[in-house]
Amino acid sequence: MGKPILVVGGGISGVTAAVEAAEVGAEVVLIEKQPTLGGRVAQLRYYFPKLCPPTCGLEINYRRIKSNPRIKVYTMAEVLEVNGAPGNYNVKIKIAPRYVNDNCTACGECEKVCEGERISDFDFGLSKTKAIYLPHPVAFPMKYVLDKDALAPGDLERIMAACKYNAIEPEMKEQILELEVGSIIWATGWKPYDATKLDNLGYGKYANVITNMQMERMASPWGPTQGKIVRPSDNQPPKKVAFVQCAGSRDENHLPFCSYICCLASLKHSLYLAEQDPEAESYIFYIDLRTPGRYEKFLKKAEAEAKINFIKGKVAKIEEDPETNDLIVTAEDTLSGKKISQKVDLVVLALGMQPSLASAEIKGIKIDQNGFVVEEEGMISCGCAKMPLDVMTSNETATGAALKAIQIIKRG
Amino acid sequence: MSNGILKVDPDLKAIQKLQEIGGDTVKKCYQCATCATVCPLSPEEAPFPRKQMILAQWGFKERLLNDPAVWLCHQCGDCSKYCPREAQPGDVLGALRLMVIKEAVPLKFLHTFYNNSWGILVLPAIALLFILLATLATFQGLPNFFDANSFPYGGPTYDIWIFHLPARVLMIDVVFLPLAAFVVIMLASAINKVWNAYVDTYKIPQAYRYGMWTILKNYFIPAIVEILSHARFKKCNSNHWRANPHMLLVYAFIILAITTAIVFFMADVLGFHTPWNPLTHPVKWLGNFGGLLLLYSIIAIMVGRGKAEAEKSVKTSYADSFLINLILIIGLTGFGIEVVRSIPSLESIVSLVYLAHLVAVFILFLGVAYSKFAHLAFRTTAVMFDLYYKDINQKMAQ
Repeated sequence: MGKPILVVGGGISGVTAAVEAAEVGAEVVLIEKQPTLGGRVAQLRYYFPKLCPPTCGLEINYRRIKSNPRIKVYTMAEVLEVNGAPGNYNVKIKIAPRYVNDNCTACGECEKVCEGERISDFDFGLSKTKAIYLPHPVAFPMKYVLDKDALAPGDLERIMAACKYNAIEPEMKEQILELEVGSIIWATGWKPYDATKLDNLGYGKYANVITNMQMERMASPWGPTQGKIVRPSDNQPPKKVAFVQCAGSRDENHLPFCSYICCLASLKHSLYLAEQDPEAESYIFYIDLRTPGRYEKFLKKAEAEAKINFIKGKVAKIEEDPETNDLIVTAEDTLSGKKISQKVDLVVLALGMQPSLASAEIKGIKIDQNGFVVEEEGMISCGCAKMPLDVMTSNETATGAALKAIQIIKRG
Repeated sequence: MSNGILKVDPDLKAIQKLQEIGGDTVKKCYQCATCATVCPLSPEEAPFPRKQMILAQWGFKERLLNDPAVWLCHQCGDCSKYCPREAQPGDVLGALRLMVIKEAVPLKFLHTFYNNSWGILVLPAIALLFILLATLATFQGLPNFFDANSFPYGGPTYDIWIFHLPARVLMIDVVFLPLAAFVVIMLASAINKVWNAYVDTYKIPQAYRYGMWTILKNYFIPAIVEILSHARFKKCNSNHWRANPHMLLVYAFIILAITTAIVFFMADVLGFHTPWNPLTHPVKWLGNFGGLLLLYSIIAIMVGRGKAEAEKSVKTSYADSFLINLILIIGLTGFGIEVVRSIPSLESIVSLVYLAHLVAVFILFLGVAYSKFAHLAFRTTAVMFDLYYKDINQKMAQ
């Protein structure tokens, strides 16, 4: 069926686009920048619309990839440049060295002897991993990866001695790959907006101001706290939690668009809290509570199952009590017309989604002023590379993208 | 509210007008209330400017006219800097203040001269008309405006009752004393109107509605102390640079007002007539110090505004730049007289510079009621009301 389709990004959208295209007979190359597929979904405790754990959606797709000879997967791979025209692209790809080869069985012996540590970006800085680490328990490929910069003296020798499968390859080099493809699906997804830019909200300054994605990691059973939601300052479970909606979103000084899912994410987080402590109270400070489409039902569910106080007014000031590390959030309750200063144990910033390519420089791709991929014939975007979306709609756009990509390669 | 009926009667003309005079961004506001929280001056019980923004969006002119909060804002621009919609609440409130001045001070047409560019032609014409008429009468004919010995130092001298007045002094008195009286009457009428409106808006119980003298006695001095120290203004964050130049400008005006009063007393009453030697006369020292302070502070304001505009926290409207430039002209022409008088070759233009200075001062005097300068009276009133309101709230709570 003509030239292969390149799918850039191995999150839920990219994986979906890749299997959908391959299962109707197209050759697919799927590349992912991280050492594992799974993207943002793998970082969540539950995802919308049905609050499934990430394993639920990812594992079935990994199976579909494994059983399909037409999909070739490269992890730790990035697009450097794109040349050519629809039906006939030449793509230059850089593959970073993993220093661990395909012999790896993920037995974990190497990790036990390794002493060097690195801050986990997967856990948004809330934990550390060893210098040699498994990205997460549902990694694909299920292989360790080595961060050479984090090795302690003597680590490398110990790791190599511990590996019974001869899987450690410290001499592995960066590779440049040139691919001839017919069409490209951009499923590069999103990253949390840089919360330190919101200088009035205290992130990075106050220990107990965290982001919504950090909340997901804490709630995740394989997260930094094994699923327990606690205050970073003293590891105590919070009794009162403030959610700051539109942290960076709908803001001309930051992200001028609505990030679509943050209101629902905060409602979901209120349910996480209720699950751990039915007495825990949420304070959701919002401009407009946005529950698109049928998600209105989810709002009703959250209202019924969790103790939530809704305050219409954006938090624009957060102060810390230096003794207790408690936080005082201030907003104007626009319904009463009075200012509210609420003392809470934990603040969760409902941080907006910034497209991953916002500051990327890839030759041959068009990006709008916010970083979303501009679709052209032969270059199709899907998921959050296209616009902020939930998982379900991302997958719908991914399926649509697969069809468009197939149309190009069929035409030749 | 949910069961009551809210009568919504948007005043489209008022919205349009507001947009024309510097509030063009008002419709961008989506009521997130970031502004009311970041504002260091916004009170807990009646925060601004979020509420004023929605009232303005609907053109609820009356409610805005009756709201002291509009005047409690010092336009530091914190709200505009953090506004997620670039709705610039600080600038909108500035425009609202102009609107209040226009609506509250009688003889509205005078206000339009100060807030439209064509007014630049009208205002000097009005000033010249009064000054020339007074000159014709007091100099008994038209003096030669290219000869300082004819104008202002010529003309007959009048002995009226115990006063001994040269023509130029009498001319100034007949122009500026009635002008000052006019401005005071107009402002008093406006302040009376807004004060009563504030009292109604804030639903002050009858028992706490004090008479004018009680109010003045209890709250005027504290308000003046606060204004002299710029205590509120200095709480502003993003444009904190504005507080000091503005405070110095206020001091400059006070020094110049005192100088004028001394000159009036010494010249008009005691008969020690000017010109006095700028190097040896202590009153001249005072005046020159005030003048230098005025020039320094107005230039500092101009420079600061330039910077603030570059970072978009303040916008300079026509009314702002008119007043700033007018004050600059008064400073420059004031010193100009002194300079050209001391240079013999420039003697022929002394009268013209003097005339220009008088025209500018006339425009400023009238502007105390009709230009942005009216904030002097309105803001003082609002600060007084704020002190009064807090005080009686405390009393009622007891």
